Amino acid sequence: MKRILFLAMILAALPLHAQFGGFDIGKVIDIGKKAVDQGSPMGKEFSQDDEIGLGDALTASFLGASPLHPDANLQRYVNRVGKWIALHSDRPDLPWTFSVIDTETINAFAMPGGSVIVSSGLVKRLASESELAGVLAHEIAHVVRKHQLTAIQKGMTADFWKGVGTSIASDRIKIGGGVVGRAAGEIAKPYLLDMAGNLIKDGFYLRPLDRGMESEADQMAVVLAIRSGYDAYGLAGALQMLAQYKGDADAASLFSTHPAPSERLADLEKFVPSVERYAKQPQLLEVRYKQNVK
Amino acid sequence: MLVMSLRILVLLLGLALVPSAWAQEQAFTNRSTELKERGAADARAVGTLAENTEVKVLARSGGWTRVDAGGRSGFVNVFHLRFPVTVESKSGGGGFFSGMTSAMGGGGRKTEKATIATTGIRGLSPEDLKSASPDAAALAKAQSYRADKPTAERFAREGKLTAVSVDNPQGDRR
Repeated sequence: MKRILFLAMILAALPLHAQFGGFDIGKVIDIGKKAVDQGSPMGKEFSQDDEIGLGDALTASFLGASPLHPDANLQRYVNRVGKWIALHSDRPDLPWTFSVIDTETINAFAMPGGSVIVSSGLVKRLASESELAGVLAHEIAHVVRKHQLTAIQKGMTADFWKGVGTSIASDRIKIGGGVVGRAAGEIAKPYLLDMAGNLIKDGFYLRPLDRGMESEADQMAVVLAIRSGYDAYGLAGALQMLAQYKGDADAASLFSTHPAPSERLADLEKFVPSVERYAKQPQLLEVRYKQNVK
Repeated sequence: MLVMSLRILVLLLGLALVPSAWAQEQAFTNRSTELKERGAADARAVGTLAENTEVKVLARSGGWTRVDAGGRSGFVNVFHLRFPVTVESKSGGGGFFSGMTSAMGGGGRKTEKATIATTGIRGLSPEDLKSASPDAAALAKAQSYRADKPTAERFAREGKLTAVSVDNPQGDRR
């Protein structure tokens, strides 16, 4: 039964002319068999390990495009804020990693499995730790709800899988003298590296998610911030900064991957009053932010 | 005397707010709203600003934005401001920016456009991202900065961050 379902999924993923024109069942089975032989998540749910491995491979690519910010104190600070918030989410035990990349471009990205990237251009324009909390909580919410993973799986056509798995026998897992993996010495599965490579080349992270996912992430961000003891308006403050910022539409910036800040603010204005009453002694932590973000 | 002390306190609180690079930005009220003495719902109103009143943004502080309204300074609700600056793409723009323009210029208000100068700013371009090759050493370094649970909890205590229980209207119940 599982196999029939699996074959049906492959057929559904094929272009019509392949299904009803020059239909090559042998080729279809080959693609599917190869993916299954390698234990790939095609046609089934991603395991948590695969989700994390894919996130690691994607993060490695991001860091290949834009270096980590050199301030180790800043990196640790952002990790502490992020981890504290993630502890109040439904997935507290993921290997949460928060990386500040050294670029003026204003954006933040969430990878499947708990890796979050935020640009120094964004961080330095925030006014308080509660605003950073709002931004990180939005990305954490994407991971918790598996928004990127869902979008990735939706985009997995047979075409997508053609290049995946071809490097199984190659040495592509050794990149730049190191090994991509969850921890030192642990090697990511090659098909995850291939998938990450395809997604990056294809510009997956340059495209917006569904509007509904962004809205859900904004609302969950407010809830996570309040649960963590922060002010309920951190995300709203960050959006107000974005609303007045003269961004660059041509860069890989938040302005081209997210709904307009003014629309998000209007949505938050409706939502925040429904949860604000839970906040007991909400903190802004403006001074601690200034001490850590130079 | 008490009034005087309060004024000084307000002044000091105002100074403690974080001014940033975008300070002095022009904004407009998007409805008739109160100009508050402090950033709090129960604070005294020092005046009322009519819809479309021009203000200068001085600082953000939680749900309140400190503004200068024609020489009067005070706090306005974060949701009660709109910003006239829209972004134009050098390549002509996609749907997103037309959407942004119409959202901001709604209600027949004038929408000003600013041409964006990016010269000299090293940003992350779409090409940079698409052509990136994975950097495993940087990944390992990024992972070395992770915070474990006890570290995050200690950090929270230092900041007087107290966890509270919130029922999420979206359904998850932690």
